[in-house]
Amino acid sequence: MKKFLALLLCLCMILGLAACGGNNDQKDDSNDGQQTATPPADDKNNDAEPAPEPASADEDTIVIMAPPVTGDYAELLAGWITDFQKDYPHLKVEVINTSWDDHSSKLSTMALAGEAPDIAEVSYGAIGTYVEMGVAVDVKPYLPDGALDDYDQNALDYMTLNNTLYGLPLYLTIQALGGNRQMMEEAGVDVEKVQSGGWTYDEFLTAIEAGTKDETYGFVFANSGVTTADFVSIFGVGAGITANFTDDLKYAYTSENMKNLLAAVETMVSSGWMPNYAVEAGQRLVMLETGNAMITGKAMPLFENNVNKNNAGIATGEAVDGSIEVEYAFLPVPTMDGVTESCFGTVDGMIMLRNNNSTEEHLKNVGLFLNYICSGKPVAETVNQILLSCVCKSGREAQAGADLGQDARNAEASTRCIGIVKAPPTGITSEQAANAKTLMDETIVPKFQALLAGETTAQALYDEVCAKAVELFGADGCEMGFIQ
Amino acid sequence: MRSKATTLRDRRFRITLEDLNGWAFIAVAMIVFAVMTIYPVVSAVITSFQSYKPFGSEWVQFDNYKTALSNDLFYKSIRNTAIYTAVTVPLSLVIAFAVAVMILPFKRKTQSVFKSLYYIPAVASGVAMSVVWLWLYDSSPSGLFNQLLTFFHAPTLNWLSSSKTAMMSLILMSLLSGQGSSIIIYIAALMGIDNTYFEAAELDGATFFQKLRFIVIPLCKPTTLFLLVTGIINSFQVFMNAYMMTGGGPDNNTTMIGLLIFNNAFVYGKYGLACAQAIMLAIVIAALTAIQFKVAGDDVEY
Repeated sequence: MKKFLALLLCLCMILGLAACGGNNDQKDDSNDGQQTATPPADDKNNDAEPAPEPASADEDTIVIMAPPVTGDYAELLAGWITDFQKDYPHLKVEVINTSWDDHSSKLSTMALAGEAPDIAEVSYGAIGTYVEMGVAVDVKPYLPDGALDDYDQNALDYMTLNNTLYGLPLYLTIQALGGNRQMMEEAGVDVEKVQSGGWTYDEFLTAIEAGTKDETYGFVFANSGVTTADFVSIFGVGAGITANFTDDLKYAYTSENMKNLLAAVETMVSSGWMPNYAVEAGQRLVMLETGNAMITGKAMPLFENNVNKNNAGIATGEAVDGSIEVEYAFLPVPTMDGVTESCFGTVDGMIMLRNNNSTEEHLKNVGLFLNYICSGKPVAETVNQILLSCVCKSGREAQAGADLGQDARNAEASTRCIGIVKAPPTGITSEQAANAKTLMDETIVPKFQALLAGETTAQALYDEVCAKAVELFGADGCEMGFIQ
Repeated sequence: MRSKATTLRDRRFRITLEDLNGWAFIAVAMIVFAVMTIYPVVSAVITSFQSYKPFGSEWVQFDNYKTALSNDLFYKSIRNTAIYTAVTVPLSLVIAFAVAVMILPFKRKTQSVFKSLYYIPAVASGVAMSVVWLWLYDSSPSGLFNQLLTFFHAPTLNWLSSSKTAMMSLILMSLLSGQGSSIIIYIAALMGIDNTYFEAAELDGATFFQKLRFIVIPLCKPTTLFLLVTGIINSFQVFMNAYMMTGGGPDNNTTMIGLLIFNNAFVYGKYGLACAQAIMLAIVIAALTAIQFKVAGDDVEY
């Protein structure tokens, strides 16, 4: 019996080890947690324009990792893959679906192991991390000829570090404020004028003061935990800090503008016109929907859908408890004195990553699929759901005539805000980007949390940021003056 | 004719079928240990001397250690972890011991009910637990704990977003939700104490607290030492609470060393630095464990 057990255990162990050490090239179609779209029976889509030539006719598998960019992105992606394979039946596409919570950690873990997916959804701010790891790929040589002409330069700049393009943009999302139109008008705000021409920081303060009543805060910004970073970015743009670095590649959060931003935040915190406690991300929208907040942030044009859905739920009992009918107004961020108006925007896109299987031929195939999902019908279907306009010509053409169900004034405000977004300089090195991210996460955001809790002063925070920034970028690498 | 020495040597090196069976049995454990423990540790030590990149790491000698040791946040995270450990571990032992002593007099069935109830949080997922605690610690006036404070006419608290209360909130969460295993271990230890000691003590007229002091506590010392050592090790590796509840804030006042290592490895991609910090953490834990055994383990045998 003992012999039998020993043999059985050894056998299990050997089989287990053999399974672990399987050849990566021979991929099993039944990957756990991954969807694989198989090529369709018909191999040509006659309605489509002629597709770019593939690198070769050899079979190849492309792996893409994507979070739920929209609610049904996984389903949409499966459909696009089927369409793609009508033109390229020899290319198989595997999808690794992630949640927003685990996307970054899962991606970086795979990348560090040399097993990154070929394509992954990444926000502009995280590109530097993958460039520093040495896994991000310069996409230009691998895209079909002329593909880049389709994309807006402003959006491509977001995917560029140290003058190298690492991916293609999906959309340029703008983050600003949102408000209850009726309450704002009652508080004496000309909402349409604000939407069409912007407003000053003083006008904003007057508005939130007037909007603060017994049960209502004039302004609520989600500021719990890491969401604090949004406060810094969005109001930073209003203070003239449109990116981590200035055009001459100096670190921007050490400028006079940062001082103004911090002083403004200190004023807001002590005013009583916004809550003096931490507000969770989901809570601020609930406060808007229940009439406990007049203006909220961060807000995006997309929130109009959420608010309308909640309005519709009031009659059916599916709305948040205590909801009132809210007419959502998308608002620009107030601009401080001496600064050109801008809006905080960031590009989410798909970057190309190197892994143990990457060959020149494979990367060309990856480039084909990358361009396919970032342009035309796929990107239009994505962007329509988040009430934005595409950042490529083919996407805008596919979007034309689509009824997004968006309020015309909000649509105009959104378009205007997208138009004033300033892309970051393209010469930022991956090291600068990575250091800026570390400084933001380890110093600015934690100290900002303390400022919001009333536990530090604007000056103390500013001094600490300057000290750390000089340590990382050197005194010459920091902007100490005023950014116009 | 072969000499006696040769025969003995042959016998010594002859592998019998029984030997093979023995090796086969321990091979499973040895291979699992080698693959799952030894290899990662050796790999982490090697990586700690590298600027790690998946395609072409560079040797940087002690640069990662120097970087870690020159980083204020590293010391702050060690300090935070030490405070968290210094408060939670002793209090956890006291609470677990007290609860175990209170459960012991009950009948077996009642004991099982209490043991199950106290153990439920250990079965629940850490993430789910954190979400519930986030709801309890909601800083708005409608938060459950804040409603409780309001009921007693006390000012509401910014539980997780104020430097004054964030660490206390994490400690409270740990104390109220993580004692199941310790309670069960203590009950097992208490049940192992021979009843004759108590009978003798009663004949001598010992009070409850005298029995506790002179019988229970000394006889539970091996268990206490075990829970103390494992408690400190686990506490130094704490990660989930800070990651889920505060993200390390505010002002890095709840950034534990485990969270810092995670961020360096998986947020910033600084794998070498993370490994160097992990190795230093392992050294600290090993030193603390050695001290505990030296101070309290002389008369304890396992």
